[in-house]
Amino acid sequence: MLKYLKEEGLMGARLPLLLCPGCGHGQVLNYTLNAVDRLIKEDKIAKEKFLFISGVGCSSRLTSHYLNFDSGWTMHGRAVAVATGALLANPEFRVVVFTGDGDVASIGGNHFIHACRRNMDLTIVCMNNGLYGMTGGQQAPTSPRDMITTTTPYGNTEEAFDLCQMAEVSGASYVARWTTAHPHQVIKAIMKGIRKKGTAFIEILSQCPVHRKEEPAEMLAAYKRITIPVAKAKEGDKEKILVGEFCDHDKPDWNASYQRVIDRYKSKDV
Amino acid sequence: MKPMPRLWIDERYCKGCLICVEVCPTNAIASSNTINARGYVIPIEQDMGNCKVCSLCELMCPDFAIAIETNTTK
Amino acid sequence: MTKDPHELYWLKPGRYYLQGSEACVEGALMAGCRVFAGYPITPASEALEHAARRFPQVGGRFIQMEDEIGSASVLIGASWGGTKAMTVTSSPGFSLMQEAISIGIMSETPMVIVDIQRPGPGQGYITASQEDVMQARWGHHGEGAIIALAPASVQEMFDLTIEAFNLSERWRTPVLVMAEEPVAHLRELLYVGERKKINIFNRKKPQDLGIKPDAYLPWGHEVVAPMANWGDGYNVNFVGLVHKEDGNVTDWSPQVNYDCTRRLLSKIEENAREIAQIETKFIKGSRNVVISYGAVSRTAIEAVMEAREQNGLDLSYVRLKTLWPFPEESLREVINDVDNIFIPEMNFGMMKHPIVEALRDRCKNFVSIPSIGILHSPEHILSKIVEETK
Repeated sequence: MLKYLKEEGLMGARLPLLLCPGCGHGQVLNYTLNAVDRLIKEDKIAKEKFLFISGVGCSSRLTSHYLNFDSGWTMHGRAVAVATGALLANPEFRVVVFTGDGDVASIGGNHFIHACRRNMDLTIVCMNNGLYGMTGGQQAPTSPRDMITTTTPYGNTEEAFDLCQMAEVSGASYVARWTTAHPHQVIKAIMKGIRKKGTAFIEILSQCPVHRKEEPAEMLAAYKRITIPVAKAKEGDKEKILVGEFCDHDKPDWNASYQRVIDRYKSKDV
Repeated sequence: MKPMPRLWIDERYCKGCLICVEVCPTNAIASSNTINARGYVIPIEQDMGNCKVCSLCELMCPDFAIAIETNTTK
Repeated sequence: MTKDPHELYWLKPGRYYLQGSEACVEGALMAGCRVFAGYPITPASEALEHAARRFPQVGGRFIQMEDEIGSASVLIGASWGGTKAMTVTSSPGFSLMQEAISIGIMSETPMVIVDIQRPGPGQGYITASQEDVMQARWGHHGEGAIIALAPASVQEMFDLTIEAFNLSERWRTPVLVMAEEPVAHLRELLYVGERKKINIFNRKKPQDLGIKPDAYLPWGHEVVAPMANWGDGYNVNFVGLVHKEDGNVTDWSPQVNYDCTRRLLSKIEENAREIAQIETKFIKGSRNVVISYGAVSRTAIEAVMEAREQNGLDLSYVRLKTLWPFPEESLREVINDVDNIFIPEMNFGMMKHPIVEALRDRCKNFVSIPSIGILHSPEHILSKIVEETK
């Protein structure tokens, strides 16, 4: 997958990624590039059509200057809005938004739910580590109750969002959750999301070994233990986190609907 | 007899997270005593005879630092 | 005489009777803008409504975003996606857009933001004000220069919006159009010429200069870097962090930090003479000058003409068409030695400061004619001038 990365720019080395050893976000990049590679080969999509947009945070760093694609490393929380702008300029972009739980659901919450409501044709890859990594491990809206973080030193007194439910209720076309310990499922979900016309929201639980103070390989093994696929979940599995596909609709995306307005009202002079 | 697959490990990018060592289903990779220029302990081939070329090491590496090479690839 | 513009690609040559907000949107369409994002706010909503009707007619796209921050973010994405893009807002929304303006400056993104000013602070009110003129220059965080224009009529809402797009594409920077509620709500005659005679400038691309993708520096080559857009095949990485010319963000040395921000400042400030425009009347030999901008200049010119004709006063008129970069050189060219400079503004003295700084050695007495809560009448301006020169 190195052909999709800029190892060296004209003015200096860029790799390795600045992420911590064992960070799940590097794995998500690996899976995404594998998915994109397969789409380029199988669906014959031109590489120039892909566009990666991110906000700010560890997950958003993936697009900072590493990708050998068109990319945008924008403002905290506004990745989805910038991506909306790119689609307005050129509806043919295949937009992948790299974002984190804080970036998309805290400061970016409003843009997130509205993009889902509009069914903008983008694929949101949300790397959820349950905290704010780049700034030092503070709580996030996805931090579970009682979790100790740097801004909840006595234990978190708040509940966590279920990002997939938010996306589904807001109107996204395709919603799925997996973890970094499910590489093939993540690759398939991202491929399906990019192929889907409309908003695809793919939440990937991604380990932050430094702030959680655990070994990355152990965190991966834990992801396998605490999750259960939707299809296999039974009543007694309330403690486990559901993974899998939550919804999969086919409905017109924003551009398909707006194009009908253009087609009908476009001036005869054009 | 099929030639043994080999591991290509990039010492410039490896961060010694040992995810490849842990996820390998056949224990073909092990941690070594070698430290790279950034101070990380890098993995090495342990027993590639049982390697099934599942490519999980290559796929799950967060830093694109390891790849499987068989004579039919690369 | 009046043609309904609601069925046209762009305004055909002729005379129109339009509201300032509508003229602004028509100027954008004439300049080639094809993406509009906005959020309703008084007194800017008319521009949104007109845009919602007109943009599909030209094959463009209009979106009402969930907030002003989203609207400004759309401009970044649309501009890098290859299209001219605009938003129209008012003062409270303008405050929200500052972060996007800031990253627009750092990434050198062409985009146009129209601020139809209203009084503040807070919810303030919905009428006449010029209280954002300093926010225009200093509102965004970080050091970096910006271009801000001040239209004074419906004609200028059309012409200066086209000029705003031209400047943003030429200098690769966000450009602000600092309008006010009176000018936005005013209906006046608009004269539109033939499109091929109107100067429309489009961003320079590396393809035009024969620069191949492997040799391309997204923020290099020239003072204003040629801009490859997403989708052009240049694998361009948009960033908002301090960067080297090739977009490398790994080097955070003091030198990179300094070079990056210095470049942004000098790109505009060193070209202020070319960018900044003023208009003058009766200036030669005059000892008393009225310097105004925007809606106030409409009543100021009345006051000046009445003072000259009725009262025989030696008064001249200077209008700032560009607020930022401040037209210091242009002002110093026309004002050499005067007794009084009067500065009527719909605020308590904002543009007064750069005016004093620029002309301190040319004039001994600077008189602010500050806000009276509504647009200054010619009588009010004249009475203040007469009081001072008695």
